[in-house]
Amino acid sequence: MPVMEGKELRIVGFLCNWCSYGSADTAGVARAWQPTDLRIIRVPCSGRVDPLFIVKSLLNGADGVLVAGCHPRDCHYSAGNFYARRRLEVLKRFLPVLGINDARFEYTWISASEGQRWQQMVTSFTNRIHALGPAPRFENATPLPKVVGMALPPSSRPLGTGKNAPLDDLKQGIKEKLPDLECVIGWQRGYDGVHTAPLFMKIPEDVEKLVWGPFNVANPAVYLPKFKGKKVGIVVKGCDSRSVVELLQEHLVAREDVTIFALPCQGTLDMSRVKEKLGRYTVVDNVVCDETEVIITVDGKKHRLPMNDFAQVKCRLCTKPMAVFADTPLGESPEVEIATHVPPELALLDAMNLDERMAYWSGQITRCLRCYACRNACPMCVCRDYCVSDSRDPRWMTQEADVTQKLFFQAIHALHLAGRCTGCGECQRACPVGIPILALRQQIARTVEELFDDYRAGFDPAAVPPLLSYEVEEKSIREREWK
Amino acid sequence: MRIGVFICHCGSNIAGTVDCTKVAEIAKKFPDVVYTAEPMYTCAEPGQTAMEDAIHEYRLDGVVVASCSPRMHEATFRRTVERAGLNRYMFEMANIREHVSWIGKEKDANTNKAAELVEIAVAKLRNNRPLTAKTFDVTKKVLIAGGGVAGIQSALDCADGGVPVILVERESTIGGKMAKLDKTFPTVDCSACILGPKMVDVAQHPNITLHAYSEIEDVSGYVGNFSVKIRKLATYVDWEKCTGCGVCSEKCPSKKTPDAFNEFTGTTTAVSISFPQAIPKKAVINARHCRQLTKGKCGVCAKFCPTGAIDYAMQDSIVTEEVGCIIAATGYDLMDWTVYREYGGGAYPDVITSLQYERLLSSSGPTGGHLIRPSDGGEPQNVVFVQCVGSRDKSIGRPQCSAFCCMYTAKQAVLTKEHLPESQSYVFYMDIRAPGKMYDEFTRRAMEEYGVEYIRGRVSAIYPDGLGQYVVMGSDTLLGEPVEIKADLVVLAVGIEAARGTRALAEKLRISYDKSGFFMESHVKLKPVETNTAGVFLAGVCQGAKDIPASVAQGSAAAAKVMALFARDKLENNPQIAFVDLRRCVGCGKCIRCCPFGAIKEKDIRGETKAQVIETVCQGCGLCTSTCPQGAAQLSHATDNQILAEVNALCR
Repeated sequence: MPVMEGKELRIVGFLCNWCSYGSADTAGVARAWQPTDLRIIRVPCSGRVDPLFIVKSLLNGADGVLVAGCHPRDCHYSAGNFYARRRLEVLKRFLPVLGINDARFEYTWISASEGQRWQQMVTSFTNRIHALGPAPRFENATPLPKVVGMALPPSSRPLGTGKNAPLDDLKQGIKEKLPDLECVIGWQRGYDGVHTAPLFMKIPEDVEKLVWGPFNVANPAVYLPKFKGKKVGIVVKGCDSRSVVELLQEHLVAREDVTIFALPCQGTLDMSRVKEKLGRYTVVDNVVCDETEVIITVDGKKHRLPMNDFAQVKCRLCTKPMAVFADTPLGESPEVEIATHVPPELALLDAMNLDERMAYWSGQITRCLRCYACRNACPMCVCRDYCVSDSRDPRWMTQEADVTQKLFFQAIHALHLAGRCTGCGECQRACPVGIPILALRQQIARTVEELFDDYRAGFDPAAVPPLLSYEVEEKSIREREWK
Repeated sequence: MRIGVFICHCGSNIAGTVDCTKVAEIAKKFPDVVYTAEPMYTCAEPGQTAMEDAIHEYRLDGVVVASCSPRMHEATFRRTVERAGLNRYMFEMANIREHVSWIGKEKDANTNKAAELVEIAVAKLRNNRPLTAKTFDVTKKVLIAGGGVAGIQSALDCADGGVPVILVERESTIGGKMAKLDKTFPTVDCSACILGPKMVDVAQHPNITLHAYSEIEDVSGYVGNFSVKIRKLATYVDWEKCTGCGVCSEKCPSKKTPDAFNEFTGTTTAVSISFPQAIPKKAVINARHCRQLTKGKCGVCAKFCPTGAIDYAMQDSIVTEEVGCIIAATGYDLMDWTVYREYGGGAYPDVITSLQYERLLSSSGPTGGHLIRPSDGGEPQNVVFVQCVGSRDKSIGRPQCSAFCCMYTAKQAVLTKEHLPESQSYVFYMDIRAPGKMYDEFTRRAMEEYGVEYIRGRVSAIYPDGLGQYVVMGSDTLLGEPVEIKADLVVLAVGIEAARGTRALAEKLRISYDKSGFFMESHVKLKPVETNTAGVFLAGVCQGAKDIPASVAQGSAAAAKVMALFARDKLENNPQIAFVDLRRCVGCGKCIRCCPFGAIKEKDIRGETKAQVIETVCQGCGLCTSTCPQGAAQLSHATDNQILAEVNALCR
């Protein structure tokens, strides 16, 4: 059923059964005339409104979405609206990074007796949406080329190859603990000298295969949940350890089951830059690590790769190169000055207006193959075989390969990571077509930091994640100022 | 599916601004819709009968009614479809009256909107599943938290109705605030004379178990089957042995112990019985002032106690009670009025609270009912009453009215005149709120028969004049001029707040509280005794300011609710609750962390941790569903698929 051609816009309302739906009824009983654009979906509680319903509506043609619940403290279920407030506020600050005007989404509180206020609210929101006009749609676009040469932020610390890291001490430490452990996860040499592969050490001979250095790009924490309930060891860089902290926080691994081995990390290579530098090659002849640069000889040609130019962006911004905690702390944690540079993927979007962002995402996401490498590489994607992206019950997504489905999956991933993403960047690194999807997670992380007392995921296994808690009076959310 | 759609005309209420025939025509084309009808009044008997007939004739297995708000008639139509043999949840409603015909003027737009609302309802219905309620047993026992007059009334009513009662009181005696009052308005009858017998009834009733000097430690379970842990605080006196003879108190050398029962207007002994009519009449040692417990030297009470009841080594103990319902009747406390620096902030001995004044008036009080100034023991000549101290004052964040101060101030002014016929009373008031039976007559009598001078205005400052009196500065807003009165005694009608510890108790009971800390009732008008947690009821001031008759009425009302619930041997749960798809659950516990009712627990299933919904506790908010990333937790009747179907019907 189409909307009234040219007259009405598509506005979806999610109203809680107890207060807001009642206020709409009260307005009706009082014959409080309202614009006819809004279509109300009744839900038990504003806490039931998954932010993804709103994203789905907006990606699929809604011009505006309004969520209404009981006033804070009046929730029929005590606290549903408090949780909703946090989640919806995060969503509101997330939409613009996709190129969706956040004025198209609003949430508010209204009690069953406030029929008149409901009338005013519907009228003003409808007028607002009409002033904005029909929402632009994401369309299948000509694929944009990969973004290359993003400006690198200055490094917060000296970067190096980790050549002098006490690897032998670490190996010795692992060998000592190995008899008590099912296995220890680490890295080994990959199919050539510039790649590493995951290593699962079970016997002392395996330990000798362990490597440490700038090629250890992958996050081994992704394998950890599979060992739930078993004694397991893991070798981590600082960033990997934050994923381990998150898994501990979510009880997906138990602290007593996991032994953490760590070395201070001096940075790892941005493999896409390395690939660019090396060009097409057949054989890697030699790889030598100097203190601050890697010298790679391929097909007889020598390439010098200074870590300062070739380290991953996350390593340049890293403030904690040592594990958050470890069972065998090896080496001193270097002092790092706290830099607060916006990551380049996000800075790129910050500089764009909404239309430009929409065009950017349409063009970038069109390249997506829906291979889900991003999901599989993410250590926090713990749903695995039961990811909602390939399920019929619940059926959040269809199998169509259009831009809205692809972008919706990225929104699902980003919002499911809210307050959990440690910014390890594995999703983006794993993307075979090089879509800069990390920006979406970075925006969520930035929002969570802004809203919830600088909360950053991955530092405290005992912390209550901000989206699983609430404050009766939120310090940084001013939703009731909206009229 | 075979869906029937009924587009109700509601007389002309809907048909006046919606083209129902057109809506029915459009609805016929929606998937699975096999039948449409346009009854004049679907809710009327012919309408319901026609619906039942249509269900049989067209073998419908789902019904959509487009009519008024589901808040109006959802229950009605669910029963109708059930009579016709369908599951009551194979039914959806489209609200085309309150949300369409009554609020939109344009018939075309309304018709279009109505058709879309029907489309959403059909889309959802296609994802509905039959749901059935489960039954469970009830423990027919009630726990009442708080032994003030409201709690006492609830306890006696329940006990008389044959329900065993566990009464938990934090103080060493029941009676609450009412026990401290001298007389009560508007009849000016003695508080102790009307409350005392009820307190004795509590002590003697075979159905009532009293835990005085005890606090609620923890509450688990759900309606019909709560388990409550009660912390019995150490009294240092074995109440099994204590006869309440009072010898310990007579002999106790620590005579300067602050007397909380007398609102600190006098002193008591470290071991004492709070007042002569206390129930239970048992002694308690105040550990902070007992010489034996603080300094390790004394032991006088133990020496003199004729039954050897003193036990200095006593510890808190925990008892657990299994009950089916809980009544919260925790009452109130006075707010901390010392924030009013302009009234001396508590520094002037003759500026006292109304509750302290009650103790000075009371014949069981520290002065034996002799009305004197606390500073010098002289009889006051001018007594000034200041109302709304900490009530209706936005400047200190207390906009609410304390409801009963106007009345007790009038009563105290009347009693002042009766105690000291030569005295003169003044009352500074904002408005006189006397809406109860015989209330306005009473305040009139105070003014007309007892010569109490009422001055409409607030007091801006109180300060000593250096000659033994106090200057009360205010304004008379009726005359529009400043007023200064020399007072010998100033009585502040201090505003009330929820009793200390109310918020912590609310969290244990999983009920909500308002800005001032008072418990939230389920509905302001229609469910004033219920809370949003099934099986937890409210009585008395803990729900909001009210006077004694209203507290007693609510106490009885809560008891009636309990007995109505216990009239059934089995309870039925609401099947619109969450369930967990065990295959999808990874045991991350996010749902457990945010469930407002503690309705999800971890369960070990074949060595794996999974979430499990406690069906009787779940209230069906769906927070877990929107929290679970993999969609394992789903709220029945509002599953992701059902809401997605609605979204997809609107946005594509």
